[in-house]
Amino acid sequence: MEARTEAVIEIGSTGIRVLVANVSGDGAYSILERAGKPVALGRDVFTTGLVSRESTRECIAVLRGFSELLRAYGVEPGKARVVATSALREAENRDAFVDRVAMRTGFRVDVIEAIEESHYMYLAVKRSLGDDARFFARSNSIIIEVGGGSTELMLLRRGKIVAAHSLRLGTIRVDEQSKAAMGSSGYLLRFLADNVRTACDGLEDDLPLAGVRSFFVIGNDARFAARVAGSETRLDYSIVPREAFLSLVDRLKGLSVDSIVSEFRVPYSDAEALIPGLVITALFLERTGAEELVVPLVSLRDGLLIAMSGGSGSDIEAELHKQVIASVIGLGRRYHFDEDHASHVAEHALFMFDRLKESHGMGRRERLLLEAAAYLHDVGNFIRTSGHQRHSEYIVLNSEIFGLQRDELTIVGNLVRYHRKAGPSPSHANYMSLPREDRAVVLKLAAILRVADSLDRGHTQRLRLVDLEMKEDHLLLQTDCQGDLSLERLSLADKCDMFEDVFGLKVVVI
Amino acid sequence: MSHRTEKSFYFHRELSWLEFNARVLEEGLDHGNPLLERLRFLAIVSSNFDEFFMVRVAALKARRRAGDSAPDYSGMSPDELLAAIARRVREIGGKQYYCLTNEIIPALAGEGLVILRPADYDPETRRWLEDYFTGQVAPALTPLAVPAAEEADPAAGGGAGAAREADGGAARAAEFPTTGNLRIHAAFLLRARDAEGNPEGERLAIIQVPSNLGRFVRLPTGSGSRFALLDDLVMDFGHRLFPGYSVKERTLFKVTRDADIGVDEDRDDDFVAAMEEVLVNRQNSWPIRLSISADSEELAAKISAAFGLSEDDVYELAGPIDLKGFMEIAELKGFERLRYRPRAPRQTLDLTEGNTIWDEIRKRDLVLHMPYESFQPIVDFVETAASDPSVLAIKMTLYRTSGDSPIVKALSRAARAGKQVTVVVELKARFDEERNIAWASRLEQAGAIVVFGAARLKVHAKAILAVRREEDGLVRRYVHLSTGNYNDKTARLYGDLSLFTANPTICAEIGAFFNMITGLSALTELRHLSMAPFDLKHRVVSMIEREAERSSPESPGLIAAKMNSLCDKDIIDALYRASAAGVKVLLNVRGICQLVPGLKGLSENISVVSVIGRYLEHARICYFRNGGAEELYLSSADWMPRNLEKRIELLFPVYGEEARDRVYDTLMSYFLDNAKARALGPSGHWRRVKPAEGEARFSVQDYFYEDSARRLERAAAASADKVLQVRRDAP
Repeated sequence: MEARTEAVIEIGSTGIRVLVANVSGDGAYSILERAGKPVALGRDVFTTGLVSRESTRECIAVLRGFSELLRAYGVEPGKARVVATSALREAENRDAFVDRVAMRTGFRVDVIEAIEESHYMYLAVKRSLGDDARFFARSNSIIIEVGGGSTELMLLRRGKIVAAHSLRLGTIRVDEQSKAAMGSSGYLLRFLADNVRTACDGLEDDLPLAGVRSFFVIGNDARFAARVAGSETRLDYSIVPREAFLSLVDRLKGLSVDSIVSEFRVPYSDAEALIPGLVITALFLERTGAEELVVPLVSLRDGLLIAMSGGSGSDIEAELHKQVIASVIGLGRRYHFDEDHASHVAEHALFMFDRLKESHGMGRRERLLLEAAAYLHDVGNFIRTSGHQRHSEYIVLNSEIFGLQRDELTIVGNLVRYHRKAGPSPSHANYMSLPREDRAVVLKLAAILRVADSLDRGHTQRLRLVDLEMKEDHLLLQTDCQGDLSLERLSLADKCDMFEDVFGLKVVVI
Repeated sequence: MSHRTEKSFYFHRELSWLEFNARVLEEGLDHGNPLLERLRFLAIVSSNFDEFFMVRVAALKARRRAGDSAPDYSGMSPDELLAAIARRVREIGGKQYYCLTNEIIPALAGEGLVILRPADYDPETRRWLEDYFTGQVAPALTPLAVPAAEEADPAAGGGAGAAREADGGAARAAEFPTTGNLRIHAAFLLRARDAEGNPEGERLAIIQVPSNLGRFVRLPTGSGSRFALLDDLVMDFGHRLFPGYSVKERTLFKVTRDADIGVDEDRDDDFVAAMEEVLVNRQNSWPIRLSISADSEELAAKISAAFGLSEDDVYELAGPIDLKGFMEIAELKGFERLRYRPRAPRQTLDLTEGNTIWDEIRKRDLVLHMPYESFQPIVDFVETAASDPSVLAIKMTLYRTSGDSPIVKALSRAARAGKQVTVVVELKARFDEERNIAWASRLEQAGAIVVFGAARLKVHAKAILAVRREEDGLVRRYVHLSTGNYNDKTARLYGDLSLFTANPTICAEIGAFFNMITGLSALTELRHLSMAPFDLKHRVVSMIEREAERSSPESPGLIAAKMNSLCDKDIIDALYRASAAGVKVLLNVRGICQLVPGLKGLSENISVVSVIGRYLEHARICYFRNGGAEELYLSSADWMPRNLEKRIELLFPVYGEEARDRVYDTLMSYFLDNAKARALGPSGHWRRVKPAEGEARFSVQDYFYEDSARRLERAAAASADKVLQVRRDAP
C-alpha cells in the first residue's frame, strides 16, 4: 500500500477529536497531530433524545476548524474517516444531523455501531501492547471503556474475543440520573453499584470474571488515574496497581469537582466525568481477579487508523461478521434449533447470494442479514411446528442479536416469516413498516432463502450445491446428488414462486 | 541605597529596574566604548525612562488614585515607591546629563561633530538659523494660547486641584491645549502691551515642535559637521509668532502620559478597531511626568500645575530634553571611527539546491545564535517553505516584526500560491501597534488565516511550523523555535538563540500548540514543551523543587538560568528553598531581579550576574543537573508573572547532542565574563566583575562572535553521507 496521510475524526458524546497520521501501509502509522474540542452532544441526547440546534452548530464550527487543520496536511474533508459513537447513535435526529454536517463541512459522518466501536478499541489496545502479548496470551482479559453515553466491554479468552457488550451506562448519563435524584451522592454510588452488578452477572455466562487477570481500561479517566497513581509508564501504556487505583477512587469520591480541578490540575470538563468514570471502572475491577490495571494510551481513533492502514486484524467487517453469527447461533441454540440444517441452508443461501450478485446488486450487510435469517428460519419450531414461520418471526423480533440494529432485526424477522408459505401482503404490519428499499431487500433475500431451504427438505444434508448457471429464462442449480431429487423438486415447486417473481427465472435443480 | 526594606527578602521590581537602567548608563559613561556608542547608550537610558514612566509609574499612580496603598510583596507602598523612584531617576539623570554636556558633546566637537546650543550660536550662525526658522520651520508651527489663569487655574487651592484630578484627564484637556505624549513643546510667558506700550498682563502660549522635520538642523557653514537642535530654534525664535507681545520667560517641555491603557478585549469581534481607538487615546491619557528645560521656574510651576503634577513629577533637565532623539546623531553617516567596528553576522549554514534547509534540519537539531550568526537561515526557512511545492502549510507566530519584513512577504507569497498559511499576530506589542495593523491586513488579503492574539492573551512564543509532503509520500514537519522575535532588524542587535528541529515529538507538540492558540483545539497536555499561562510556571517550579530533592552533599544540585527579568515570587521562593537544600544556582539576569542573592541562610548558594554590552541580551535558557539526567531548555518567557500568567509563552527542550552542547556552553559562558558582567550583592548593589589577578579578560559577547567564525567549518563536517535519520522520539 502506498504511503499517505490519513485523518480520522470521532464525534463522541463529550467532544470531537481528530487524529492526523502518516500511514505507510502494512499497518504502520505515525501520528502527526491530535486535536479536540468539547461539544456536549451527550448532554443533549441522553436527556432529550435529540441533538440540539446549538450543538449541531457547534459541531459544524468545530468540524470547519478541523477541515482547516486537515488542509495543512493535504487531506480533503471527503477523504477523512469520520465516525460518530453513542450520542449520535441514539439521537433521533441523527440523519438530519449527518446530512447537515455533510452539506456544511463536506465531512461524511458514519455512525458506527457499538460492536464496531469495540473492535476498533480491541485493535488499538492490541497494538499499544506491542510485543507484550503476554497480557493477552497468559489469561483471560477484559477491555473496558467508560464513555459519556455507554460503557463498552470486551471479554477475551487468551486473546480471542468471546463477547462484546455495550452497556447503557456512561458518565453523562449517570450525571443526568444523579441530577434527577437531586445530587445525592449516596444515590449515585448505589445506582452505579446496582447497574454494574447486574451487568457483571450477565457477563459471567460468557466468561467467569474471577478468572480475568488482565484488565485494560481506555479513556481519559483511566489516563488520569495512570498519571496520578500509575506505577509504571511505557511508551504506549501505563500500569496502575489494583490497590493504588482503588484507594485513589476512594479518595476522589470524597472530593468535589472544584477541588479535583485545583488539586489535580485537570480541566473542568474532565473533572466532572472523573468520579463516575472511575467508580464504574473500580466496580468492574473488583469483580475480576486482576492485580493491576493496564491503561493503553490509545483511543478508538487509533483503532480506526490501524484498520485504515491494513494492519493485522484490521478487517473489522470480517471480525464483526464472526461476532454477529456467533450471537445468531447462540440464539438458535437457546431454541434448540436443528443446527446442521440451519448451517446447511445458510451455506446454500450464501452460495446463491454470492453467485447471483450481478442480478441482485446487494452488499455485505444484506448478505449478513440473509445468513442470520438462514440460521434462524426454523427457531419458531420451538413453540410449534405449525405456522412456525410466524413464531420464528416473533422470536427474532423480540431477541437481541449482537451487532444488529432494530431495523436490521426487522428485516431478519421478515425473512424468517417469508421462508415458507405466503409471501408479503399489505396486511402484514411488520412488512409494511419497512421503508420501500428494505421491502425490496426482503423480497430478494426471502426468494433466495426459500430456494436454499427447499434443497434440504429432508433435513438430512444429503446434497450440496456445486454450481449455478443462469440461462435465458431459468436458473440451473447443479448438485452433487447422484440419487433421486424428487423430494427437493417437490418442495422447490412449492417455494420457488417468489424467486420467479423477483428474479424472473424459473429454478431447475439437477 | 538599599532596594529592599529590612524585613523583605525581595528587591523591589521598579527599583531593580532602575538599577538596570543605571547599568545601561554605565556603558554610556565607560570610556572604553566608542564615543557615538556612548551617546547611543545615553539615548537608550532616556528612551527606557520614557517607557518606564508611561507604563510602570503610570500603573503605580493609577493604584494610588484608586486608593490602593497596600505594599506589594517586597514590602513597599506606592507612596514610598514613587518617592524612591523620583530620587533614583534624578540621580541617574544627573549623571547622564553631566556626561553628555561635559564629556560627550565636547569630545564629539573635538572629532568634528559639533552640537550647538543657543548659547554657542555666533552671530553668523544665528542669522542663518533665524532665516531657516522663518523660511522652513515657522510655517509648520501652530502657536496655541493657554486660557488665562483665572479662567481655569488648577493650582487655585488644593481642594479644587484634587477634585479636578478625580475628574480625569479629559476635563483638563479642555483647559490646556493638547500636548500629546512625549511631544516636545516650547512654552512662552508673554506680556502684551497696550497702544502706548505699557504692559497689560501675562499670557501663556505653547508651540509644539514638529516631529516630522528632524530633530537636528545641519549648518551649512563652518568646519566639520555642525548641528543645531530644532527645539532650540523654536524656543529661541518662537516669539516671532507672537507679534505685539514680549516674551518674559521661555522653556521647553514634554509630557509623558499613561500608555498602559488596555484594549477592551471583550470587544474582540473587531480587535483591530479597538486597537486603533487605544492608539488615539494614548495621546490624551493621564499625564505622569513633566520633563522641562531648566530655563524658567515660573513656567515650570505653571505648566506642572496645569497638568496636576506635583514637584516629584517634574524633572528639570540640565541640557536638551528628550535625549532619545540623539539616536539620530549616534547613527549619523560618516563617523564610523566613533562606533563599534562593524561585525557582519556570519553565514553558518551552507545552503544550496543540493543541500536545502530541510536537509540541514534533518541532519541534526540546529542551534543558531543571533546576532553573531546570520538571521538569514530563518528567512530562508520561510522563503523556501513559501516556494517549495511540497510544502502544504506554514504556521507561524509574529510579534513585533518589521513592516517590510522578508518573512511577511514570503508568507503572503505562500498564501497566494494556495498554501495554508496561518499567522498568529500579536497586535498588542506595546508601542508597535500602528505598524502591526498594516501588515496584518496585507497578509489577510493574500489569503492567509490571521489570528489576532489567542484567548485574550498576548502570544509571545516564537514558533514556525512547516508541513511538507516528502518524496516518500509521508508528511514531515519542520519547526523553528526561538527566544526572540521574527524581526530581521532587531536580530542584528538582540542576543537570541533559536532552534531548528524535525524531531517528531517536538513537531507534534508544536502542531498541538498552534491548534490550541488558533482555537482549533481545546487545551491538551504537552509532555515535552510547556506552555504559559497553563503549565509553564508549574513546570519550572517543579523542576527547581526536583533539583532540591535530588541534591545531596556528595552530589549537589545545579541550576543555571539566563533571562531578562526575574520577578515571580513563587519561582524566587523555590530558588531560595533550593539554595537552602544545597543546590548551586547561577543566574544571568539582564534586567530586573527581585531575588536577593548571597544572604546567609536564605540564598548563599545563589549568585546573580548581569551582562550589558554591545548587544541586548535576550535569550532565555535554563539548565537543571537533575542528578545527572541533565535537562536543558530554551524559552520565550521571562520568569515574571506577566509572562507566566498573562501571555502565551513556550519552554522547549534542547534534545540534539550537538545542540545541547552548544546551548550548555553558551549558558555557562555568561558566568565567566569579567568584562561586561556585573554581580548583584545582597544590598542590591551591582558590582562590576573584574578579571582576577593573572586572569585574562573575557567578554562573553566577544567570545560568541569569535566562536561563530568557526561554525561553518564544523557544520560542513556533517556531510551528506552522515545525514542522520529523523529520530522517532525524543530521548
